[in-house]
Formats: sequence, structure tokens, C-alpha cells
Amino acid sequence: MSILLDKNSRIAIQGITGREAAMVTKHSLDYGTTILAGVTPGKEGQDVHGVPVYDTLKKAVQVHGVNTAVVYVPPAFVYDAVLEGIACGIKLILIATENVPQGDALKFLARAKQAGVQVIGPNSVGMITPKDRVKVGAIGGDKVERCFAPGRVGVISRSGGMTAETSWMVKRAGYGVSTSVSIGGDALIGTTISDLLKLYQADSETEAVVTFSEPGTSFEEDAADLIQAGQFSKPLFSFVAGRFTESMPEGTVFGHAGAMIAGGAGKPSQKMVKLKSAGAHVLDRFDDLMPLLKEVLK
Amino acid sequence: MGKILENFSKQVIAEYGVAVPKSAVAHTPEEAREKGEKLGFPVVLKALVPVGKRGKAGAIKFAHNGEEAESLTRELLGMTVRHFPVEKVLVEEKIAIAQEWYLSITVDKGKQAPVIIASLEGGVDVEELSREKPEKVCTRHVDPLFELAEYEAKEIWAGLGLSGKPLTLATQALVRLFRVFSEKDATLLEINPLVLTESGEVMAAASVMSVDDSAMYRHPELSNMVQLGSERAWRPLTDLEKEMVEVNEADPYRGTARYTEMDGGNIGFLCGGGGGSLLSFDAIISFGGKPANYSEVGGNPPERKIYGITKGILSKPGVKGLFVAHNITNNTQVDIMAKGVVQALKDLGKDPATFPVVVREAGVNDEVAREIFTAAGIEYYGDDATITEAAKRIVARVQAFEAGEGGN
Repeated sequence: MSILLDKNSRIAIQGITGREAAMVTKHSLDYGTTILAGVTPGKEGQDVHGVPVYDTLKKAVQVHGVNTAVVYVPPAFVYDAVLEGIACGIKLILIATENVPQGDALKFLARAKQAGVQVIGPNSVGMITPKDRVKVGAIGGDKVERCFAPGRVGVISRSGGMTAETSWMVKRAGYGVSTSVSIGGDALIGTTISDLLKLYQADSETEAVVTFSEPGTSFEEDAADLIQAGQFSKPLFSFVAGRFTESMPEGTVFGHAGAMIAGGAGKPSQKMVKLKSAGAHVLDRFDDLMPLLKEVLK
Repeated sequence: MGKILENFSKQVIAEYGVAVPKSAVAHTPEEAREKGEKLGFPVVLKALVPVGKRGKAGAIKFAHNGEEAESLTRELLGMTVRHFPVEKVLVEEKIAIAQEWYLSITVDKGKQAPVIIASLEGGVDVEELSREKPEKVCTRHVDPLFELAEYEAKEIWAGLGLSGKPLTLATQALVRLFRVFSEKDATLLEINPLVLTESGEVMAAASVMSVDDSAMYRHPELSNMVQLGSERAWRPLTDLEKEMVEVNEADPYRGTARYTEMDGGNIGFLCGGGGGSLLSFDAIISFGGKPANYSEVGGNPPERKIYGITKGILSKPGVKGLFVAHNITNNTQVDIMAKGVVQALKDLGKDPATFPVVVREAGVNDEVAREIFTAAGIEYYGDDATITEAAKRIVARVQAFEAGEGGN
């Protein structure tokens, strides 16, 4: 097992003919992931590194039984792409696109929730299950194995780049990951840390979880509540970056859009206190992850 | 979010049929007098700066005649309100107010829905009010899939105690303001106070509005109203920051390079990735170092952009070293990073043999990057070291460099 992605994932890429999406397709295929189809209106009949392109997602679903969609279209078209995925009965949609208008995100996230569709992102660099060599999105680039070894640690990161770096730390410590997920740097995202912790809790192949966090949002505070409520009982290792921002004037944004501190909520130090009191292993320095993993997992 | 000055936000809400006081913008004391005479005294003079709580800061004045208008405007134009120098003043007719209410519309990120906050006790600090008299404040979420229905707006005001004609007018105003919020892709629309005038009109007496940067492409009509670069800063941009915005905008579709100047500091900071940069900055501080700036590059920027931002970072007075770090990249080509950084150092005459430079760049094409950095005599780490380990090195080297300087 793993979470969200495994060898049964049947993947299509919306916006596959774009420069970045085409590169990601190539890297995914090289890694061993099966990409069944791509969608770009007006380009049906073409292929991208051998992956057939369709005008509509509907047809891709009919021909290939797609159940997982990756959205790589420009910001103005994300809203429609997500609605298309929901309408086609897709159960898992990962949105890689950055700078999606907030008003659009509000609407498609509400629609997805109603339809019971799991949305990852927007602004996610991807996710990966190394055991099955399945990845979606740019995650891992052209050298996936450098950072991602199969194993029993789940990784959740609010930063795309740090998803790889955190998984690399896990590997350096002598472990590997079950599934690593970049949840997206925005404040309005489909799947939060708590949502994933519940999935990792149910996954028999995940023994522990590492989270990389940033200032802003209440994702970490909610995760602490989840642990307190007994709904997540595996070891959790948490790092919250951006402590320096607390000494900056309020309203300043460093890092991702979700990393804004407003009205005193979402401060890294408060997140750390809350996670610690819930029983999580809170890292003072990010490098402490390696010795701590060895100590706790043995 | 991009902030919109009050004169513009009032123009927008007036277009949606919400009553606002008559007003005009003045750039000089004489102009304020002239505009005041046209509107008829007394008038309100408000500093046009993109920050709230101007009343508390003394940035709102009342003028009863032309002389007062001139002298008070002169006073306002000499002020700096929460880091923003006052360059313009809004001259506004003084409304005869019977009641002051509070209204704001924003997005509750946790509940993922727009939220309306309203109270009949306006003109005050609403955070204070909701702490002290929570029963006087109504908070209501709106289904993101629907517009605000008239009955919902009516329930909000009726629940707070309005009735009769004021209830009808307040309901109409709220429905229209909600339309402004959703159709203009606003992130915040605050009317404080929303007033009932002595003549029985409901009017937006003061407004604060921010719009979503990511939605600006569909609002050309707002492009002249939004304060550029206001979304990420707590003060106006410095000259160097403005130059860096230009470096970034020169290739708008390829990669991002952002630059924020810190007060003081001596370590030039060129980091990549949102989370990686936060981690790097924390790490430098934890070892006792002082970054001179915060910067963030990502999305595979071209060499020209890296070159430009590196030159900017190094040109800040007092910078005694350079730290270049990234999380292991997924798509950013670190050989391009290497070329831009090395060229900038060379053109500014900074020799890595004496000027401390520590690099931790791993990821796409890092074999080439290693060669370029090493050939330039730079202390380079790839995935053989962590970001934190590299941060420790730059702090130690800059400290040693400064000690050496002191000894000369």
C-alpha cells in the first residue's frame, strides 16, 4: 500500500503539450510511470513522447479508463480543467499550476468537495510513490532516485522544492518514503496536512510521517488537534521554517502566498508549541531530522 | 494582494450603485483649498496611503475653511503613515452622520468561503469589538458557488437590529458590495464606517480594498488603481528593490527572482525555492549571521535574471559575503545559476579567493554547476552537504573576513 498513488493509478495530463508538461511527461516515463493520455484542445491525434493527446478529457477517460488527472494548464484555465475532471468522474486531481485566482480556487474546491473528489494543490510540484515508481508532476526532476527511495516514511511538504529535500534527508538517514506529497504553497488548497495524516494513519506501509511547514494557515494547528483527538498515532516529525518572519512587520509575505502571517495567527513558534504539546517530534534545526528518525524508528 | 487607494476603491463601489461622499484628490495645499471650496466646507482630509487605521495615526483631519484646508494638507503631506510617505490627500464632503456601522468582506481560508463581518457599532476597531462585545458582531459565511442572496444580507442586518428603511437600504448596499468583492476578485473589502446619514441615506464613508494579483489579468480596468509591488511589502519599495523588480519583469514568463532589503546585515542572500529560502534564512540567523536581504529565485530563471539579481544583492553597501543555496531542484537548472552568479562576481571585481562565497546548489545539471563554481574558486557543495551545513560555513567565513578587515 501507499497513499493516493500506486500501480493502479491511471494517469492523464491536462495541458500536456505545454513546455513544462511535456518535459514532466518525459521524466515520468523515464522513471517508469505510465502516463496513459494527455489533453490539449485542438491537438487530438498528436502525441507527446508517445503519449496520445485528446481534445477532451472525456475521451481520454473512455479510451484509457483514466482515474487520476494532473492539471498543467495556465492559471486562467485551471477552473475549467478541474470542472472537466470532476464531470468525467476523476477521483484524484493534482493541480501543478501556480498563481490560480483565489475566487476560482474557492469555487472549484467547493465543487470537488461536493463530488467527493480529492484535489492536491494548486501550486503542487507533485507526488510520488517510489515503491511502484509512480509519480505525477515535476517532483524529482530527471533524477528521481537521488531524493526518493522506497520505504515506510510519509512526507508532506507545503514547499514544492522541500518535498524533494525532505525525502532526501529521509534517504540520508537510511530510510525511504512510502508516498511524498507536495500539498501546494497556497493558503487555499484541496488537501491539507490533516487530510493526509488520516490517510497515512490507515496505510499499513507507513510507519511515520515528516512534515515541512511554513508560516501562515492553520494546517499545523489542525494537525496537532488531530493527534490530540487520537486520529493520528504514528510518530510525526515536524519542521516549521520561517521563524525569522515573526520579527518582521505584519503583512509581509516571504516564501509562498500561503506564508502570510495576519492577525497574529499562523506564527511558526506557535505552530511548534502546539505540535510539541500534541506529542510530535518538532525539529529545532532541519538537520536534526536524521538523528531523530534513527532514534525513534530504530 | 494588491492594495487600492481609497479614492479608487470608492470609484469602483460607486459604479456598483453604492452611495459614497463626494470627493477629489489634491497633491498640494493650494489644490486642497480649491477642491474644498468646490465641495463646500467643512471637508474631511484623508492621507491617501495604502494602510488602514489612519484615524489613529492622525492622518485624517477636518477643515472648516480654505486656510485650514491648506495648513492641514501641508501637515498631512509632511507625514509618513506606517512607512508610507503621504503624497496625495483625499478631500471629501463631511457627511452628517446619524449612525456608524461596520462591514467587511474577505475570504475565510480555513473554511474556504467568503465571510461577511458586520456590526452596528462602526468606526471602531472591530477586532477589539468582537473580543469585548461578540454579541454585537455578526459573522456569516457565503456559499462560494452562489452570489449573496438578498435574504441573506437582510438576515444579517435584521439580526443586528435594523428595521424599516435603513434595513432595506443596508441590505441593498451589502448585496452590491458583495458583487464588487466577487466580480473584482477582491481579497478584502472593508467599509468602516458604513453610515446612515441624517437624511436617511446609507453611504460608504471609508473603504479599504485589496485585489488578488493572480486575477489582475482579467481586470484591465483596475490596472492603474493597484499599488504595484504593494502585495509583498510593509513599506514602499527601496530604489534597489525597484531595480530588482525590473530585472524580474524583463523576462516575465521565465522564472522568478524577488528581492527584499533588510535593515543592515552583511551576508548577501541568494536562495531558491519558497520553503528552502525560509529555511536558509533561519539557519543563517541561528548561527549568528545577519542576512543583508531576503531573496528567492525559482522556476528555472534565465542566466540574465540570476546575473541581475546577484549584482543587486552584492551592490548593497555593507555586504561582506554571498550565500547561494537552493533545495535540491526539480526543474531549476543549477548550471545556469552558476553562470549568472560567477559572471556577476567577476563584473563587480569580487574575487572568491578573498570575498567569502559559499554555494549549496544541487539538482538539474549539477555536475556542470560544480565545475563552474569550483573553477571560479568558490566553496561549493552539492548534495554532499545540507543547506544548514552550508549556512554555517558562510557565517563562519564572513565572521573571519570581517575579523581580518578589522585587523588591517
